Order: sequence, then structure tokens, then C-alpha cells
Amino acid sequence: MEKFPLQVNELEKSFRKKLGLSSFKAVDSISFQLSHGEILGFLGPNGAGKTTTIKCILGLLKPSNGKVTLWGLHPASLQVRKRIGYVPENPDYDDTFTPLEFMQMFSSMRRLDMSRERMLAILDRVGLAKWENVRIRSFSKGMRQRVSLALALQSEPELLIMDEPTVGLDPAARKEFRDIILAERQRGASVFFSSHLLSEVETICDRAVILSKGKKVVEGRLDDLMRTEDHYRIIYRVSDDEPEELEVEAAGLQKSIDDLRGQGYSIISVNPLYRSLEEVFLSATGGGGI
Amino acid sequence: MKPVMTFALMTLRNLLRRRTIWGISIVILIALFGIGQIPGFGVSNEGRFILDFGLFGLEIGALLLAIGLASNIYPRDREQKTVMPIIAVPLSRSQYLMGRFVGAAIVEAAAMLVGCIGLMIILIMNGHAVPADMLPATGLLLVEGWFLLAVVFFFSFWTSPPLNAPLTTLLFIVSQMSVSGFIKLFPQAPGLMRTLRLFLPHMDVFHIKDPIAHGMDIPGLYFFLAALYGLAYMAFMLSVALAVFRSRDLK
Repeated sequence: MEKFPLQVNELEKSFRKKLGLSSFKAVDSISFQLSHGEILGFLGPNGAGKTTTIKCILGLLKPSNGKVTLWGLHPASLQVRKRIGYVPENPDYDDTFTPLEFMQMFSSMRRLDMSRERMLAILDRVGLAKWENVRIRSFSKGMRQRVSLALALQSEPELLIMDEPTVGLDPAARKEFRDIILAERQRGASVFFSSHLLSEVETICDRAVILSKGKKVVEGRLDDLMRTEDHYRIIYRVSDDEPEELEVEAAGLQKSIDDLRGQGYSIISVNPLYRSLEEVFLSATGGGGI
Repeated sequence: MKPVMTFALMTLRNLLRRRTIWGISIVILIALFGIGQIPGFGVSNEGRFILDFGLFGLEIGALLLAIGLASNIYPRDREQKTVMPIIAVPLSRSQYLMGRFVGAAIVEAAAMLVGCIGLMIILIMNGHAVPADMLPATGLLLVEGWFLLAVVFFFSFWTSPPLNAPLTTLLFIVSQMSVSGFIKLFPQAPGLMRTLRLFLPHMDVFHIKDPIAHGMDIPGLYFFLAALYGLAYMAFMLSVALAVFRSRDLK
């Protein structure tokens, strides 16, 4: 059976403080996994340990404890590198090169046999069609993000790791990024998506992991996370009038239904109430900033 | 090998586009111009002077080139976070180090060759013969330069560029000292100093300007063994640098 694209077990990462006399835990015993073809949202306030976790996943940091595996292999192994694409937060590539030169060099370093047309097609896909020969020195933050996405998509990765990929993008560009991520999932890729933009996570992710102060505080399918267990919405109708709705606590649900029926109303549906992801996030992190 | 060569080419293009190489070229031209003025002083044995000064200039040039080219490469990559996407996906740390090293080594080789050719032209223009051993002697200085490049890379993984330059220069100086000179630094512990000297490189083997300036013959075997020694030490230094780099977290 194919192993999980990403499995994090009891990951712990400590850093020494300046004088090296004491240390602090940036990530504290977190575990989660990413299934094949899934988009996993990775959330947390600033300083929660998201980027540290991503760097451990990429093999840039060595875990103090615990284990990270990708398809059962060590993150730094060559087999893993061939299968992943990485979009860093605020990418800062060498600005003396053009997007096309980067595509050529990265494809060569990855040992990919790519035609110029294929590279141009990828640049076109991320919105850099007319910029392929312009040095990225003159690019905006958003355009540099597009270069980064193009490089990540180059190898048709099985796993896309994205660290705040849409920071600095305008709404239209964010929509383009989202569409590309969804298309990649459609192709069969799994996506590990760290973002501050909860609306975005809500729109595209299947599951979410929320960190706070280095610890995992919530993990689950978005539907499950956003569904409240203690409040329900009853939709009912009085004769031929427009349907009306009533929000009730779980404890009083049956009584409310009985009362409505007793008054001659017909019950159309009873559903758990959904919270926004922002509410889930704020309650999980104790109101920590996003 | 292909990823390393691609990355080396990327480093080379970067050094060219950042105009680092133009700065180096100007320094070489100024140095050559200075050496070209020697005949104007009316010294006797001016050919010997030109050779002596010229090879000394190449020797110092090898050190300055190594520091100028490599001391800032990794710190800049780390500071600007350009190293992250490269090491995270297409390259291993050893490929990154080798790519950066080879790129800088090519620039160093080109600069040394230009310096050597310039020196030959000055000799010919002033009516002096070019010694047959001049090119191999420059080759040895280049090997020394590559060794120093490896040292600079090694230091760059755990110190800042301002500290890298004096540390490399210090190693350059002490590596030319004899055992007796070394013991004089700390006469209270001659055994320790003797052992220390044994482990430090002997860069004096690369400096053959005096015998060349005096027209002495140097056996081909000497060049071969000295180059082998330098390359072996360079490989050792790169291995140590890689071990340090591998052990470091990229925060």
C-alpha cells in the first residue's frame, strides 16, 4: 500500500536562545498526516510554529524529536525531492535572472527534459507569459510569487508544499492561485497549504490543522470543525408562506420541534449550525491574532 | 554531475551580472599597470623584479579573490533566503556547495590566467624572456587560491563575512610559517606548536617565485606533487565545510 505523502509524528523542534543557555520549543509534539489527493490547511497565529514545521518537512531543519516522512522516506532523500514542489513564503530568488532562465536552470538541476514551449506554457499558466525574459529585479512581490509557483509546478509534483503562497497578491491573483491549486488536486497532487487567509482555507481545503504556541490545538475535516454540536437550525413552514428558521440549543432541540409541530407548522429541515473558520480559529487559539 | 554544473553556471552568471568580475578585472589591471612601471625606476635586474613582484601580486591576488568571491555567497543566500527553495527541492547540500565552489573557482581561474598573461606581456614588452615555469607556477598559485576558496566556504558556514576575511588571512599567513617560526610564536609549548604546525597546511610549497625569478630549474615532479597536495587539502577542506553545512539548520 502507498504510504502517506506526508506523515508528521510527534514532531518537536527546539531552538537555543541567544546565549545558548536555554532553549524554547517552536514546535511541540505535533502529529498529523496528509492523504493522497487531499488539500490540508495549516493554520496558526504568527509564531505558532507553521514555518518551522514546514522547514522540518523540507529537511531544512532537523527535528529535535519525532519524525517527518514523505511517502515513508526521509525528507532530504532524492526520491522525495523529485516528487515535491515548494512555494516559499516571500520568495527571494536571485534577482539577476529572468523567469525563463530560472525555469531552464531548475529543470536542469531537477534533471527534467523540458522543452522551451513547455516552460513557456507553465509561465503562461501562472500569468507570466509576457515577462519570461525580464529580470525579476523589477518584479513586484506578487510576480515573484508567480515565479515561485511556476518553479514548483515545473516537475508536476505529487505533493505541493505552500507556505503563505498568496501573501501580497491582489484578489484576482489569489483567485488564479486557488484555481491552480484546485487543478493540481484534480491532477492527483496532494497540497499542504499554510495560510493566514482563513477564507481561502475555507474555500479550498478538505481538512485543517491549527497550531497555537507550537502545539496542535485542532485537526479535522473542515465540515466537522465548522459544525457546532450545541446549536441547530430548524427550518419550518407555516402553510404556504415562505419558510422561516429558528436557531436552538441542542438541549432544547426536541422540545422546540415538538412545540412547532404542536402549533401546526411543518418541519422542513433540522441541521447543525455552522461556524465560520475564523470562529473555529479564534476559539482554538484563544483569540490569538491571525 | 549535471545539477552541480548547472548550479555552477548559475553562480558564474550571477557573479558576472553582479559585476563582481568587472571589479576584479579593474584591480588586476591596476596591479599590472603598477608592475609595468618597474622599468621606469631604472633598477638593475628589472626582469627579475617584474617576475618577483608579479608572482607576489598573483599570490596575494589568489587570497583576495578567494575572500572577495566566496565570503559573501552563502551569507547572502541565507540572508535573502534564496538558499531555501534551492536546497528544499532540486539540490542536495553537497550539490549546492559544489556548485557554488565550482562557479567561484572558474572565476578565480580566469582572473589568475588573465593576470599571468598580463605579466607575460609586460615581460615581453620590456624585452625579457618569459620563464618556461611561469605558467605552472601560476597553476600552483591557482591551486592555492582554490584551497583558500574552500577555506572561505568553510568559514562562511559558521562566521560572518567580516570575520571570515581575517580568519582566512590568518590561516594564509600561519600556513607559510616554518616549524621553527611557529614555535617562536609560543615557545613555552614547543610540542604543541609542532603538532599544530603538522596539521595546518603548508602553503609555502606553492610559492616558487624566488627560484623562478632567479632562473632556477624546478622539476616537473615538484609541480605535480605540490598540486596534488593542494588539491587533496582542498578536497579535505570542502568535506569539512560540507560536514559543517549539513549539521546546520537553515532557519
